Amino acid sequence: MMERQVYPFSAIVGQDKMKLALLLNAIHPAIGGVLIRGEKGTGKSTAVRALARLLPQLAVVSDCVYHCDPDALDTLCPDCRERLSRGETLPRSRRRMRVVELPINASEDRVVGAIDIEAAIKTGERRFEPGVLAEANRNILYVDEVNLLDDHLVDVLLDAAAMGTNVVEREGVSVWHPARFILIGTMNPEEGDLRPQLLDRFGLTVDVEGIKEIPQRVEIVERRELWEADPVGFGERFREEDAAIGRRIAEAIVRFPRVAVPGAILRAIAELNVRLQVDGHRADLVARKAAQALAAYEGTPQVGVDEVKQVADMVLAHRVKGAGQRDFADLGRTLTNLARVSPS
Amino acid sequence: MPFETTLPFSAIVAQDTMKRALLLNAIHPEIGGVLIRGQRGTAKSTAVRGLARLLPDYDAVEGCCYRCDPVTPETWCTDCRLRARDGPLSVIRVSMRIIDLPINASEDRLVGTIDLESAIRSGTRRFEPGVLAEANRNLLYVDEVNLLDDHLVDVLLDAAAMGVNVVERESISVTHPARFILVGTMNPEEGELRPQLLDRFGLCVDVTGVMDISQRVQIIEDEQAFLSDPASFQAAAAPAEEQLRQDLQAARTRLKSVLLRDDIRALIARLCLDEAVAGHRADLVVAHTARAICALRAGQAVELPDVLEALELGLAHRRRDIRGERLQPAQDLATRATQELIEIQSRASLEKAEGAQGEAGAAQGAAGSDAKEGWTATEPRETQPADAADPESERVIELKTFAVKKFDLPRERKARRASGKRSSSKSETKRGRYVRSTHVEKTTDVAFDATLRAAAPYQIRRRTAAHPGGTALRLERHDLRQKVRERKTGNLIVFVVDASASMDAEQRMIATKGAILSLLRDAYVRRDKVALVAFSGRNARIVLRPTSSVDLAERRLERLSVGGTTPLTHGLITALKLVKTERLRDPGVYPLLVLISDGRGNISLLGEEPLVEAQRAASQIRSEGIRAMVIDSTRDHRQRGREGVGRVASLYGAYAFNVCGDLAERLGGHYYGLYDLSQRSIMDSIEREMSRTSTA
Repeated sequence: MMERQVYPFSAIVGQDKMKLALLLNAIHPAIGGVLIRGEKGTGKSTAVRALARLLPQLAVVSDCVYHCDPDALDTLCPDCRERLSRGETLPRSRRRMRVVELPINASEDRVVGAIDIEAAIKTGERRFEPGVLAEANRNILYVDEVNLLDDHLVDVLLDAAAMGTNVVEREGVSVWHPARFILIGTMNPEEGDLRPQLLDRFGLTVDVEGIKEIPQRVEIVERRELWEADPVGFGERFREEDAAIGRRIAEAIVRFPRVAVPGAILRAIAELNVRLQVDGHRADLVARKAAQALAAYEGTPQVGVDEVKQVADMVLAHRVKGAGQRDFADLGRTLTNLARVSPS
Repeated sequence: MPFETTLPFSAIVAQDTMKRALLLNAIHPEIGGVLIRGQRGTAKSTAVRGLARLLPDYDAVEGCCYRCDPVTPETWCTDCRLRARDGPLSVIRVSMRIIDLPINASEDRLVGTIDLESAIRSGTRRFEPGVLAEANRNLLYVDEVNLLDDHLVDVLLDAAAMGVNVVERESISVTHPARFILVGTMNPEEGELRPQLLDRFGLCVDVTGVMDISQRVQIIEDEQAFLSDPASFQAAAAPAEEQLRQDLQAARTRLKSVLLRDDIRALIARLCLDEAVAGHRADLVVAHTARAICALRAGQAVELPDVLEALELGLAHRRRDIRGERLQPAQDLATRATQELIEIQSRASLEKAEGAQGEAGAAQGAAGSDAKEGWTATEPRETQPADAADPESERVIELKTFAVKKFDLPRERKARRASGKRSSSKSETKRGRYVRSTHVEKTTDVAFDATLRAAAPYQIRRRTAAHPGGTALRLERHDLRQKVRERKTGNLIVFVVDASASMDAEQRMIATKGAILSLLRDAYVRRDKVALVAFSGRNARIVLRPTSSVDLAERRLERLSVGGTTPLTHGLITALKLVKTERLRDPGVYPLLVLISDGRGNISLLGEEPLVEAQRAASQIRSEGIRAMVIDSTRDHRQRGREGVGRVASLYGAYAFNVCGDLAERLGGHYYGLYDLSQRSIMDSIEREMSRTSTA
């Protein structure tokens, strides 16, 4: 099958915040995904699809429907576990991360998986037919207009995102399988908000707006036209730039564990979130990871206040509400102050 | 179970109450589980999963899929009873497990059903156990338990109440034991739990984020260490985990010998009574919990502090009075408990000493307790009365432009409404959750699994009867089963608000804004949506599209300004269009239109007399089947009563009759005045309207 032509990541004009948020997740998926809020036609889906092509290849068990990681034994699906315990060697191959789409009109059985009707009718066998969540394991799960998702699908998604596994107890089948994915959602806030619980599952949020500068707007249209006229040639033009970003991501992934996060920085993060009255601890945890990923991407050996500042609004935009919002405006200064007074 | 890579239980920072509640259940399963309520991201699920590794071992009948307890034959399943006739059953040691009930579960998997494969292949009807069977003598964990389907909740309640699961479906008839520890986690922001289900949880703890900076830093560091190298993190935590496991084991063996004195028993009953707790479950739970607490601290007999802690864990979710008095400081409780204990003890000793002289004894007992009234030396364990009182004040929404009163709708009503809101719009749309199946005349939405199960037992016969070859499965018309789907359809409340200059008078707008905001706060929990149409000047605009977002509404409301003329018809027509659009998106929606205006429409939409246009619009809305109510911003209900209905107390010469009243009539809705409606009663009116809507 021919690969669908994808608009190059580096050809996307502007929208740096969104691109950064996506890159950070690519470096460290545990950040927990991105929610992109903004109007239609701001390059959201384009960026997501383009990103997937830049990611380094992953080692997978070649014939496993869940694309298990043969090196992470504790995340294996029951099938792979059984094969291992039988003494089999799991066949390995490498493949790229993919963007799996969850359409908002999806039915629940397609999302979580259901009984395989064909097998049941033909042979009377009861088999599990994996759904979107299975497909999404170790991939990017992309939900366009996530705020319009049916309530029960949101529940299912929450459940899976929280556990990292999809437990299915329905229609006569009882299985579980790993479902760890980078959740990327887009929404137009005009059409209603997301439920706080799901909102919190997104590691980062970015608000995108249409670009206002005329020259940039012209540039966007021109590039788009060029790409539509000749996708291959256009892709060629940006091949080197895209490859450079890809290499940078790959390097950052290697560098990530070695990036130090000083205690003073952690203290500043915690202090900030307490001051902003953020619910729970997820903001603390995500801020650390995002800042560390950014430092890894920039090639700095240690997380500084600047990295935290750059990621702070992405971490906090959807977690601060009510009274805390007043302090949100001069986040940067607060952080600098906090880092200064904290003993290092 | 996919739980091996979770953070070790002993490594969870702070959250002591939650950890304790879980541990107590592991010591003494009779406590009946725990419900953990709290904000997002407070280690709720992490703690439950961490507990998996600390759960005890127990003896079970070998080969029994319900793991029957060999020493209590009265709880055995039918199978074990039959096998026991042929000689003693062999016993194996198994460890207690956490069984997940995912919220996507369907009924057949929860209760168990016919074994499809064996039915088709060999034509035998065998029962295939479901989640409830697996949960027997285990821990049943429901994450986001407040999102569980009503239907599944019913099944769960049934089983929990009787300790057995009775299956009568698909030509299968089985009864098996289903005693489990029910553990649930939930975020109250997402909705409340049905009171009945709430009561099933032995204990209840509320968790909040840790506010101590050092502890927060510790949490970040732990997570970092754990993620980067789970294996060595777990290895580092292993000694602590092992210690905890041993403590639990010791407590478990000690539990049987823990003494619960009569005076303590009486005290528990007394305190539960004082706390206005519904039912008797609380007494039992508190007694069990107190014993477990005592066992964990290696005590011989249950003492007062044990009871106090147990009360705190066991009563939080059972007190009848929802607000107000329940927040009395725990210090009081300790004092009261001490007094009552002394009273009980003195009475008991008197009874013992003086035997039949009850009258004198009682009198003396009373005197004795009086004398000791000042004696309240016992220091209760740490409690946080201030903490408990705080959420109250936080519920008030602050807005610069106006103050909003807090509305606490009584919970009983909420519960009734809640069940009303979930109406199943069955096969018409084929949307929604497939919860179970049924047999209907004409099947349009085939439930394959149920159909297969229905057909399975007859396959062998049909195969021999029909000509050979073809597919393995032979379906006949009467096998077909229809999916029953359930959709939570919320209400849509459209406020049509007059933002003309006249609304500026006497803070009418403030009252109106207050009502809308307060309603919103409640709306999220019930999945109701609110929309706001404002009209002033020469047109109407949708200020707020149907939403359940409090934040968004707050911002929009704040900006809503007042001034200009009154294009009443524009407002009504815009609202009508809005409802129609919303109906396209979701045919199951229940709209209610709330018009807040003085009725002085003075701008024409189609070039006719503005009032006539408004009347026509009102009739149209009614004919669309949209419920409506009118709140007259110029009128006082009580006054109207005095002057007689229909008579004009008109301040406006232009209209010689009650415009709003007339509109209300044409809309087929109720008519209220704004002045006598405090914000509270606006809410009540809406509530009333909505319940009519839902039952209609």
